[in-house]
Amino acid sequence: MEFLSRKNFFTWLEGLKTAYQVFVPCKKGAYRFYKRYTSPADDIVIGEVRTTEPLKGFFTHAREKVAEEFNPEAPPDKNKPFAIVGVKACDLKGFLVQDQVFAHQSPPDPFYARAREDNLIISADCTLTLDTCFCLALDHNPYPEGHFDINLSEVEGGFVVETGSSKGRQILEKHKNLFQEASPAVLDEREARRKNIVAEVVSKIEENEVPYQEHYPGMVERNYKSKIWEEEAQRCVECGACNMICPTCHCFMLTDQKSGDQFARFRHWDSCMLRNFAQVAGGGNPRSRLWMRLRNRFEKKFDFFPKVADFYACTGCGRCVTACPAKIDIRRVLKRLVHNE
Amino acid sequence: MNKWHNPYSPVKTEVIDSIVETPTIKTLQLKPQVPIAFEAGQFVELTIPGLGEAPFTPSSRPSVTDEMFLTIMKVGKVTEAVHLLQTGDTVGLRGPLGTGYPIDSFMDKEVLVIGGGCGFAPLRSLMYTLFERSKEFKKLLFRGGCRSAQDLLYRQELAQWAKRDDLDMKLTVDAGDTSWKGHVGVVTMLLDDIGMDCHEGIAIVCGPPLMMRFVTMKLVEIGFQDQNIYLSMERNMSCGFGKCGHCRLGTYYVCKDGPVFSYDKIKPFPDIWS
Ligand SMILES: Cc1cc2nc3c(=O)[nH]c(=O)nc-3n(C[C@H](O)[C@H](O)[C@H](O)COP(=O)(O)OP(=O)(O)OC[C@H]3O[C@@H](n4cnc5c(N)ncnc54)[C@H](O)[C@@H]3O)c2cc1C
Ligand code: SF4
Ligand code: FES
Repeated sequence: MEFLSRKNFFTWLEGLKTAYQVFVPCKKGAYRFYKRYTSPADDIVIGEVRTTEPLKGFFTHAREKVAEEFNPEAPPDKNKPFAIVGVKACDLKGFLVQDQVFAHQSPPDPFYARAREDNLIISADCTLTLDTCFCLALDHNPYPEGHFDINLSEVEGGFVVETGSSKGRQILEKHKNLFQEASPAVLDEREARRKNIVAEVVSKIEENEVPYQEHYPGMVERNYKSKIWEEEAQRCVECGACNMICPTCHCFMLTDQKSGDQFARFRHWDSCMLRNFAQVAGGGNPRSRLWMRLRNRFEKKFDFFPKVADFYACTGCGRCVTACPAKIDIRRVLKRLVHNE
Repeated sequence: MNKWHNPYSPVKTEVIDSIVETPTIKTLQLKPQVPIAFEAGQFVELTIPGLGEAPFTPSSRPSVTDEMFLTIMKVGKVTEAVHLLQTGDTVGLRGPLGTGYPIDSFMDKEVLVIGGGCGFAPLRSLMYTLFERSKEFKKLLFRGGCRSAQDLLYRQELAQWAKRDDLDMKLTVDAGDTSWKGHVGVVTMLLDDIGMDCHEGIAIVCGPPLMMRFVTMKLVEIGFQDQNIYLSMERNMSCGFGKCGHCRLGTYYVCKDGPVFSYDKIKPFPDIWS
């Protein structure tokens, strides 16, 4: 493992700009957002905690052109790929779902698969928690253990650097004058910091009484006819924010547009909470009521995915808790489901 | 050559003809620039350039790949535009999508096909295939029902089918009129004395959800096994290849794992008939 000083870190980002569009998390008030890196700045926060927006937007855009006229091939992407820095473990877990849907299941989505191949992921350990964090309940640590090219663990004066792919190793090799071997002391510091952050997440989970995933099997099926759904859905305003902000939600809708005598097809993120999501011609709708759609959202995440792909489609990032104007708290719903109350 | 094939992109297709079937149903004769081979039960997405797409099951012979027929009922945005198409117009086709009927597994069995309303359209391509292979089956039966004689699709063709000696066919309409000499009543009535070994037989059902529900109940009642009853499920669809999430039914995507399912596979899910 290597060590990268804070000063060299910025030199390195500068160097990455030749091949990549570099994005870094920046702090604005109490929140963090990805911004294009231009020069060293105080609001750049590599550690800390997840950004407000999910990582998935770098891989499938909220609205994106996917076909033009009758061209059978995906149009080439003329832009430089992204290097996304400071990605947190909960967003990396989102790749389990997004990869399963867009890359592993045939046919591969050419836009996603290309972005996955070309984009560079430089992740980072969390160094603080939000009240809504519960990643450990979903069986992953608040520091990256896979799905990254390079990971940064903040320590005094810089970062411990770990590579997770051959692409990451090549990048380090290319800039090797900036890195030095990590000393046993900084490695110890990394371990100590990791232990602390784990303890912090555990205490958040306990405070909020979030059940751990070993208690999830069967909970949705068991409560299929429960009043939980109607009660929880009562205040839902059908905005779809929970889906848009979720690192695992992948559903989309295709729409066509005309300009002059050209036509194009666009892919938009869609929300299963919206009434027309499953509606068919003539008005038939298998999920005509809002509570059925809320149940469906949990069914997809906690029943469908574990059955077809062996993981829960939730990362414990807590974004939907913060985003929901109706204060429908996934942690509370999980607790009610696990305890059948 | 770009290595990424684009599954969102339709094949440019010419409208050869548009045939009026009933006041609300037309059949398009289409010629895609690149031939599209499909199996009975698979479907395609039809693009009206600049307006949108909708899923349809071809009603033509799967063994013919340079032309395709789609029989389409006018119900909304895309289908209304479909009904305005004329010879020479350009549309797009994406497919084939989904999984076809496992016809090889019907070998040496009695095969009963039941259609309702617009369900006749997708069944026509299946019937063409079954006719081509009719020697492989012990017996071939067709039972069809629809609202009235006016709503009956492919009337002349059905009259030809009635004369085939490899097919046992009966039709019924919910409400008869002077032009109708056949049965009157719902299609389930035609199943009462079906005269086949139900326990070993294959049943294929396609039609509106309510019809499929009643027919399935009836088939189970007269002795068909769940795994031998094949149903065409309809769900809202967008991508057609298992990515957009719209068509999920339990642990399946209808667009990819279906649209044809044997009843035993989907029976455990709570909302299959809605
Ligand atoms: C596998 C499959 C095969 C089909 N085969 C035929 C056929 O052979 N002949 C035929 O007449 N009809 C068929 N249908 C139904 C046909 O797809 C719908 O009538 C059509 O989508 C309606 O589109 P619209 O724009 O005219 O209706 P609108 O009501 O304006 O559509 C609005 C929206 O709902 C979606 N939608 C509406 N109804 C359906 C539906 N039933 N299935 C999926 N998405 C829907 C559309 O994608 C669109 O986004 C089939 C449907 C499926 C799923
Ligand atoms: S964010 Fe909340 S209010 Fe909006 S759709 Fe989701 S559950 Fe409903
Ligand atoms: S239509 Fe998109 S997943 Fe089935």
